[in-house]
Amino acid sequence: MDDIHQFSEIDLVSQPNSALHHGMGSGSSHIPDGTVPSWDVLLTRVGSQRDKQAFALLYEHFAPRLKSFLLRLGTDIGVAEEIAQEAMVMVWRRAETYDPRQAGASTWIFTIARNKRIDRIRRDNRPLPDFTDPAFSQDADEPGDIVLQRRQEEDKVQSALKKLPQEQAKMILSAYYEEKSHREIAEESGLPLGTVKSRIRLALNRLRSNLEEIER
Amino acid sequence: MSTDEFEILDALIIDYANGALSKPLEVLMETHMAMNPKSARAFRMMMQVGGVLLEDSEPVSMSEGSWEKVLAEIDAQETLTEPAGNDNDRDQSLLLPRPIADYIPALNCPDSWKRLSRGLSEYEIDFGTTVGKASIYRIEPGVAVPSHSHEGSEVTLVLAGGFSDVTGNFGPGDIAVQQNGAVHKPVADDDGECIVFAVNEGSIKLTGPIGMVLNLLAK
Repeated sequence: MDDIHQFSEIDLVSQPNSALHHGMGSGSSHIPDGTVPSWDVLLTRVGSQRDKQAFALLYEHFAPRLKSFLLRLGTDIGVAEEIAQEAMVMVWRRAETYDPRQAGASTWIFTIARNKRIDRIRRDNRPLPDFTDPAFSQDADEPGDIVLQRRQEEDKVQSALKKLPQEQAKMILSAYYEEKSHREIAEESGLPLGTVKSRIRLALNRLRSNLEEIER
Repeated sequence: MSTDEFEILDALIIDYANGALSKPLEVLMETHMAMNPKSARAFRMMMQVGGVLLEDSEPVSMSEGSWEKVLAEIDAQETLTEPAGNDNDRDQSLLLPRPIADYIPALNCPDSWKRLSRGLSEYEIDFGTTVGKASIYRIEPGVAVPSHSHEGSEVTLVLAGGFSDVTGNFGPGDIAVQQNGAVHKPVADDDGECIVFAVNEGSIKLTGPIGMVLNLLAK
């Protein structure tokens, strides 16, 4: 991505010895490995050090995926682009509140994008619930092991997803669709809208039972 | 809870996750999840699945100048001070779960509460929505609410105490759903005041955006 290179040139907070530089040179998007810190680590660094290079890497990885994901949900292309941008700005602003023990970077960023998307749908700019979101709110007296369990949940969700029959796995994505997309599925498949929706609920239920099985 | 109600709760969680609920139902769900770990988990699961799906998405290039725009935006905000946390010290929050507590006048301020019948009072919350009705009802211990039917479906969240009707017993954090036209006669438990938050979407289900839950409620 050329814009990332441009950014490198105008970078004001350069950290020459940062491990990040190993990842900055190639310009290609890649999954973090031994040489590049994980997304969780980068996000934490944005929060604690206002590290713009870490943010640039997060942007490079997540903005095009947010855009893609929103497009798949039925969002118009211009809106998808804007929500992706707004979400990334919010990632920068809220990074301080990110706790890697509670959520992986992709879950956290997805949640931010969800809020942005909802704000957009409503245009009422309600005060950001962000992490008063019950899903991630943490009581001061919440024991550390519960916090840890939240993070472990994510791996289990991943395994539970893999155990879904393909048809249901496809339905899971539809659970996030915009209404017009549900109507399109109904039209294409010739099924009543209500049936499409109950299949989506069934798929989510199946996922939840898979999850319970894994946790047992 | 009946199967129907389980289905409706699932649908409420999906709609909440997608922002498809009206403001009153959204606040109802946020309060419910703050009280019910199982539902909070179900919502969290949706966010976690979203994270997985996001990670698996085939990237689509952002348009030219997008990064510069984001950069300009964060530089501009650099000087802004972070908004203060929304902690307030309303004594209410000790008695009633957030976030609904922020919408309710002091419980000990009789002027804010409209007496409907003996042992039953109401405070109607104005969410600025034009359709439907959102109210807090307070029922004194052991009081039976006169039998009534609902025009439109009503979703009720128990905030404190409990009540029973023919469909079952409901305690703090529980959601009860009265379908359009259903008649019921709730009786508050004996051991304390019962406070509920009830949202009636009225006829919105015929005209509003159709989400998961409206589809079920409209049956």
